[in-house]
Amino acid sequence: MKQKAILIGVLAFLGLTTSQSGPFKARLESAVHSGGESYAQVLLSQDPAQQLCTQYRNQLPSALIPQFLQGQKALIRYPKTGKLLGDWQNGEKVFTDPKRGNCYACHQGDPKQLAYGTMGPSLTGYGSRGTSEGVLRYTYEKIYNSWAYVPCSLMYRGGVHGLFTPEETADLVAFLLDPHSPINQR
Amino acid sequence: MRKSLPIALLLAASTTLFALSQQDQQEKPLDPFEEAMKQRQQYLQNFGILPGDLFASQGEELFYAKRGPKEKSLESCDFGLGPGKLEGAYARLPRYFPDTRKVEDLETRIVGCMERIQGFRPEEIKRDEVVALTTFVASKSSKAKMEVRPQHPAEIAMYTLGRELWYTRAGPRDMSCAICHDSYAGKRVRLSPVMSPKQGLGSEWPAYRFEEDRMYTFENRIQFCYTSVGIPAPDFYSQPQIALTMYILAEASKAGHSFQELPFFTR
Repeated sequence: MKQKAILIGVLAFLGLTTSQSGPFKARLESAVHSGGESYAQVLLSQDPAQQLCTQYRNQLPSALIPQFLQGQKALIRYPKTGKLLGDWQNGEKVFTDPKRGNCYACHQGDPKQLAYGTMGPSLTGYGSRGTSEGVLRYTYEKIYNSWAYVPCSLMYRGGVHGLFTPEETADLVAFLLDPHSPINQR
Repeated sequence: MRKSLPIALLLAASTTLFALSQQDQQEKPLDPFEEAMKQRQQYLQNFGILPGDLFASQGEELFYAKRGPKEKSLESCDFGLGPGKLEGAYARLPRYFPDTRKVEDLETRIVGCMERIQGFRPEEIKRDEVVALTTFVASKSSKAKMEVRPQHPAEIAMYTLGRELWYTRAGPRDMSCAICHDSYAGKRVRLSPVMSPKQGLGSEWPAYRFEEDRMYTFENRIQFCYTSVGIPAPDFYSQPQIALTMYILAEASKAGHSFQELPFFTR
């Protein structure tokens, strides 16, 4: 009970010190509207997690982190079959497609693909981790909702936003872990 | 002489050059800067001129021509240093203008002058002409030191607005400008290196992008960034455009950067 009161106090304090005041918010909203309705629609419909990451410039205060991670974990959906390891060949399509995974924007994958970004770690040889239950679950959840592991990271929450389905997420897992996947061919 | 070289012909030729460059790219991807320099050399060898310079000379013609319902040139347009003073004007934009009581970037100012001085109605103003005029006026600040330093309350307000937009995470890819252009600056998206304002982001626009076969102003560049992260782009001449331009160029000015050769030539 007492703990809860302290937590609420801390949250209120952090909120007061960093949140935007009313007049600024109103001015921001009117400026965003001047950018056109489709722009405003996206910018003004941030979900609570996007709002927090904006407010704290991607550095959440530690008091907020457990609740944030819990909230993000709750957004993860799994394939109906329960199988977290899907079809690596379809996974490769999702991984490469700029409209879905777009993973080469930031990650190295198939060593034959030379046009890869360097913002994320290289995924070449990712399969060396094996396919234990723990590795499967971590890989699946990280791809589906990266913010369930690292709040406000650059990696977007592709599953949460529907850029790929739970089944396609399992296919992406297979592209990373299947020994036949080009990612694991050296 | 310069002005008579038809842009269409040059652009058609550029597509061929680009196709050629794509071929060797399949073997080993070139560093984007090396690639741009190579393309630039090819233009100079084959045509003796860069496409960006053609846009600048088209803009120069438009600038001095008597046009619009009032049949006036844009010579009396004040870009902040006095009517018709163009040298170095772009390096201090966006800024507050007492006559309109607004903070304006170069593109917004040009549109405003076309309306007030030449008498055009907003819907009559062609984007292509604004791009050419922007390219011409900016070319007068080639290699100039960036001097965007918000001082007037309206400028500071615009800067603060831009900073907030810079950090706003939104859309289906949870993006903000800052997450790539600050946190991961110096790294690559695919083959393209990403710069932060501190590293001089903004110093190369307006630029001719040979990959897109188009002249890009800074507003075009901001639109491109939003679109590529799945967020509909803010309209030209809108507050988000001016605010982000203000924030980025003010940060680059603080870090002591100068503009590239304008119009720049890039990938």
